Amino acid sequence: MQKQVDEGGAGGGKGLGMRLLMRLEVRMLALALIIAVTLSFLSPYFLTQNNIFNILDQSVVIGIVAIGMTFVILTGGIDLSVGSVAGLSGIVLGLALKDYPIPVAILMAVGTGAFVGLVSGVLIGYFGLAAFVVTLGMMAIGRSLAYIFSGQTAISGFPSELSSIVYTTVLGIPTNVLFLGLAYLLAWGYLTHTKGGRTIYAVGSNKEAARAAGLNTLLYSILPYVVSGALAAVAITFSVAQILSVDPLTGNLMELDAIAAVVIGGASLYGGRGTIVGTLIGVLIMVMIRNGLNLLGVSPFWQGSAIGGIIIMALLVERLVRSRSES
Amino acid sequence: MSVAHDAAAAPDRSEPILVARGVDKTFDRTRALNGASLELRAGEVHGLLGANGAGKSTLSKVISGHVVRDAGEILYKGRPLNLRSTREALEAGIAIVMQETSLAPDLTVLENIFLPELRRPGLLSYGSMRRRAGELLGRLGHEHVLPLDQEVARLSAAQRQLVEIAKALALDADLIIFDEPTASLSPSEVERLFDIMAKLREDGCALIFVSHRLEEVFTITDRVTIMREGATVAASEPTASLGQADVIRHMVGRDIGALYATPGLQDAGSEAPVVFEVEGVATPPVVRNVSFAVRRGEILGLGGLVGAGRSETAEAIFGLRHRTAGTIRVDGREVSPRKPADAVRAGIGFVAEDRRFQSIVPDLSVKENLLLAHLGAHRGFGLGYRSRQAKIDELMEALGLPAERLLDANMLNFSGGMQQKIIIARWLLLEPKVLILDEPTKGVDIGTRQAIYEILRRIAEQDVAVVVISSDFEELLGISERVVVMSDGYSIADLPSAMLDEEKLTLLAAPRTSMARNTELLTRLAQECGGAGFWVLLDEDSLICLNSVVADRTADPGFAAGEARRLQDTRITAALAARAGEGQAAGFVEEPEGLATLLVPIRTRRGHDLGWIGLTLPQGGERPDAAQVKERIEALNAEAG
Repeated sequence: MQKQVDEGGAGGGKGLGMRLLMRLEVRMLALALIIAVTLSFLSPYFLTQNNIFNILDQSVVIGIVAIGMTFVILTGGIDLSVGSVAGLSGIVLGLALKDYPIPVAILMAVGTGAFVGLVSGVLIGYFGLAAFVVTLGMMAIGRSLAYIFSGQTAISGFPSELSSIVYTTVLGIPTNVLFLGLAYLLAWGYLTHTKGGRTIYAVGSNKEAARAAGLNTLLYSILPYVVSGALAAVAITFSVAQILSVDPLTGNLMELDAIAAVVIGGASLYGGRGTIVGTLIGVLIMVMIRNGLNLLGVSPFWQGSAIGGIIIMALLVERLVRSRSES
Repeated sequence: MSVAHDAAAAPDRSEPILVARGVDKTFDRTRALNGASLELRAGEVHGLLGANGAGKSTLSKVISGHVVRDAGEILYKGRPLNLRSTREALEAGIAIVMQETSLAPDLTVLENIFLPELRRPGLLSYGSMRRRAGELLGRLGHEHVLPLDQEVARLSAAQRQLVEIAKALALDADLIIFDEPTASLSPSEVERLFDIMAKLREDGCALIFVSHRLEEVFTITDRVTIMREGATVAASEPTASLGQADVIRHMVGRDIGALYATPGLQDAGSEAPVVFEVEGVATPPVVRNVSFAVRRGEILGLGGLVGAGRSETAEAIFGLRHRTAGTIRVDGREVSPRKPADAVRAGIGFVAEDRRFQSIVPDLSVKENLLLAHLGAHRGFGLGYRSRQAKIDELMEALGLPAERLLDANMLNFSGGMQQKIIIARWLLLEPKVLILDEPTKGVDIGTRQAIYEILRRIAEQDVAVVVISSDFEELLGISERVVVMSDGYSIADLPSAMLDEEKLTLLAAPRTSMARNTELLTRLAQECGGAGFWVLLDEDSLICLNSVVADRTADPGFAAGEARRLQDTRITAALAARAGEGQAAGFVEEPEGLATLLVPIRTRRGHDLGWIGLTLPQGGERPDAAQVKERIEALNAEAG
């Protein structure tokens, strides 16, 4: 340490930083593996090919929402409205399918999600309102509109071609899982290799400094909410395609799973820290736990406690690691 | 130090009230204190000196409980002192009066004085608080100056400081630390503060006076301790035994002259075209009317007291603050930045004062921090980092930074000097036309400071217009060719550095409130006698006019406030040449053209030279009695001071 003090961390900083980064991602991966191994011992069915496809399939919806949530959380914000936005977009999709071809209906749904995100983003990024409060308000508005537009009932009877975005395979991989993988690849590329992605990190880490360096902090404070709203709509499209029905309660509590996945994935709620790879691992952990608890016949009433406990544990670990790395 | 040893061995007037030994403190990886020591007696004013970053503030904060030390021993009144919070320090009787005050701006003077009592259980008795506040202020000799029900936010800097001192006294503090208390005070306010400090000393308080203004240290302190790079290099030396040169040698560890690259070619610079021009910029409430111009290849200093609005001016120019008036021209083209990105596009770079909060993005790597301004200026979807690689290599080389350090994950682990170099490089990467630096050597060690001065000189030579803001007047005069002085949001003077020294700059920078009293004096003088009154600082062959009031245009002495003139270029050459020394009988001196001028030297009560007050009368007419006018000036001056 003496040497590092004297030379301002010559040589030592790099090794330490890399090791920390490694530890963060490795730790999460290790946690995922431990859960998988434990579950495979507890339930012989867990590691079957069928169940693995099941897990991947169940990851699609929450996985897509978690990408948007990662964008938002990286800026130091939060989006509590994704569940309601998903519900509202789902209803819009359902209504549009009655009059328009499938692609147009999907575009309308995604447009709805993006628009709600834009409104939240402008209120937060331009007017400086607290993200928590704005998206809380949007959560209530979205759900309310979903009930009004739907006439308080489920909508069904969609064209069966819609389910082809879920039930066809390419090279043996279901299209929805393929889409999930592609989305993560694109998100990873965007966050690590583009001006916009790096600006999102800078905004979350030190908005004042980012602005003073001439970055467009306004645009990149708003954009993540648009992405989050749009992806919530994309996610619900996959869900609707699977069951060919949508009701106004669709997507309820989806924000909980998405935030949990991002936080378990190592992102800091203060912004600036987190990776898309971490989020993917976080999603898998969440889904595996849910899947495992179902296989083990645990009451769905207990599952909430389990998920909640994991979120808090993840936060606690982050705090401990963070304070250690800074001392 | 041998002197300290002798003092300890000799029969003491009093036991030391505080002894600190071997105090260490490391922030991140910057070692702020490295075996610092200090010994303090009751009834003394103890100067704590050192250059920026020497650790004097950190040591003060360790003693006041703001910072917890890593190692070392502190004895207070003979018992070990292990503070964990400022509250514990206050309970022990240790208070600190800081530059940025710890007052609650929305509460009244009275509530602030008794703030520490608010957390005690039970009801507050405003009646008894009011009585005690009166007593405390009476002890300071200021019972009528502070309106007890005024909100603190509406007080002047000097008044706020008074509240801080009263707050310390309300707690019966035995040890009061004054951390750079004079940074935002005018000379007369400084005098008054010193009166209070002297009174507290008589009452048996131990006072620590942290400052880097040497003349103040010599005026008020009994003993001094000097720090350098976190360690004590001279302990408890009696002030009387030291000369200025000794102190500087201890502070810097070498000859100060070598610190600044000599600004060469001053006259050549004045013919270069103006690259950067600011006219009438205002950002209420702090900045009211600021104008200056920078020529190609010139370093311009923006000087003034803390709170004069210099940082706010820079932020307004750079688009970080809303501007209500003013024009900004770069290369003759008008630009109007509404946000920093606009300013960057116009070719302006800005190194802000607070690195941690205004410059560093902690979660990005050092390389990305370096490239942050590039990222903002980059047109395109990708990063474009590679296009800058050659320039990065060149800059790292020029700044003496090892290239592999760019890969470090966390810039906060760097020393202040390294951080500052990276931030400067961030802007140089864009090849700006104008670079504004706000306190560029704050928290930077002395070796790196020199490197930063060299960098600034070099970029100025590469035809960048450089503007430097600094509260360290010595630094300001050392690196800039010209200084624009700001006071209370106005730019009031624009003078070549060669004509200035620290004392002149301090007088020029005095807040308008204190200048208002002088203006009143001059106005009365000019009107009563029917001529022109002025306040000037005189040198061998030039003068600087601090203030002037012309009642009769025909008696205009040929210079105005904020202007510098060669003596022969004024209209009262004969009078200035014949100025009488102190104690000599002054008289009106008549110019060949007929103007008659009386010059009276003025000093503060402590004998601090404040320049000359002059009265010029028009040709012909009646001459009042010189001795009477002189008396009048001296009386008015005593009143105004």
